[in-house]
Amino acid sequence: MKATIIIINHNGCDLLARSIPAAVQASDKAGGYPVVVADDGSTDDSIAFLCRTFPEVRVLALPRRGFGETCNAGVAVVETEVAVLLNNDVVVTPEFLEPLLADLAQPDVFAVGCKFLNPDGSLTDTLGNRTSGTWRGPFLSIHHETRAERLEGTCPQLYANGGAMAFCRDKWQALGGFDPLYHPFYWEDVDLGYRAWGRGWRVLYEPASVVYHDQGSTMKRVHRAAHIELMSAKNAVLFTWKNLLDGRLLRRALAAQARWAADDVLIGGLPHRTRALRRALRQLSQACRARAKEQRERIRSDGEILMLSSRDA
Amino acid sequence: MGTNGAAGLLLTFARRGEDATIRQAVSRLRSEGAASVIGVGTPVSAPALSGIGLGELILYGEGRSASAVVHEMRRRRPAMAAIVYSGAGYAGHLKLEALALLSGARRVQRIAPAGSSAIGRASLAAIVLAKGLCACGCAAVGAAICTVAFVCLTLRQITAGGSRASRP
Repeated sequence: MKATIIIINHNGCDLLARSIPAAVQASDKAGGYPVVVADDGSTDDSIAFLCRTFPEVRVLALPRRGFGETCNAGVAVVETEVAVLLNNDVVVTPEFLEPLLADLAQPDVFAVGCKFLNPDGSLTDTLGNRTSGTWRGPFLSIHHETRAERLEGTCPQLYANGGAMAFCRDKWQALGGFDPLYHPFYWEDVDLGYRAWGRGWRVLYEPASVVYHDQGSTMKRVHRAAHIELMSAKNAVLFTWKNLLDGRLLRRALAAQARWAADDVLIGGLPHRTRALRRALRQLSQACRARAKEQRERIRSDGEILMLSSRDA
Repeated sequence: MGTNGAAGLLLTFARRGEDATIRQAVSRLRSEGAASVIGVGTPVSAPALSGIGLGELILYGEGRSASAVVHEMRRRRPAMAAIVYSGAGYAGHLKLEALALLSGARRVQRIAPAGSSAIGRASLAAIVLAKGLCACGCAAVGAAICTVAFVCLTLRQITAGGSRASRP
């Protein structure tokens, strides 16, 4: 199988200086696959830096459109069977590609996620390792495994973190890629994994494919913390509205969402919840359409998705 | 003016990283003359409260009624109370403010990481009322939005037809 590495960038010139050489080295080691940078409307020196320093890297200079849609535009130019998405703050190890390609050779595997380590090599508070979920309270509660002993073998997971994931391009196209419902960012990778499981495919966690991730370094420099929280909450609501097809669980989740909004005032510290619900309401018709499509195409129930994706290998 | 034998209540959600503010609240209560400091929190906050040396705790949540907690606080006849806030200001924490008000403590201190201030019972009552109304408003908005969402999502699901995936 051949792969294309796509690095998503927005105003991350200094980050690219670290991530691109590692990606190029890994690509060369695996057989010289193309490396593409999909640039999300950078206003810093990113484009000039790439053209000057890495002429072998293809640059897609796109207008500012958010993470998900930039990924979709990047994947649209891929001609290989496999695409690998990397954030600009992810530094890959030289051997990260081969284990991913080996896993994707299985016909029912849609995507494979890498093992994320902090830049110092630790696992403390890392996100994206062996993800699983439960429908609890107002949203899907996502668990990111941080115990080293639980991260030793290839196993199913709910979704592959969009910061470093490989997937089959054909299945990606069948799923429609990242849903623009989640513009500008967050939850699009969870949604993609959930839908892939719903279609009967699998998503795997591959600990042999190691990457170093300086979590949120791009996000924190571009957006205010309050805006990140607001968008994350809005998209958590929309994810529930779109994907939770089990009527009993949906009723419980919606009741919990109303209580969750009131908790803004009761406990304080998170003054974005009612705003997040109002923002989600503006996209209700879009969520309804996506939900109807999901209902037509899904062959697994919500319970089956969560059960299968959290099983040991 | 010291109050010999008086008890002070320390009310907190004890979220992550609040140890310094909690210690500040304990110091404030002791400097105000509290002979003993009683921690008021949830079972989740109990380790943090015990960790700073508070031997006596009143815990709420996990099925314990609010009236039982209020009764237990009032039984100690607290002379003062300190509310520990998580954020920079005094947003949120309605539950703790209501408990401080109902505890019968004559003096209440609000301790936030950025600063602290004393507040009278009448002002505290007004804040509790205003925040309570605001919470009801948020709940009403949330309930209205979720009801609209439920109706639209359910109708859409019905018109889209049944699917194997809709079962539990």
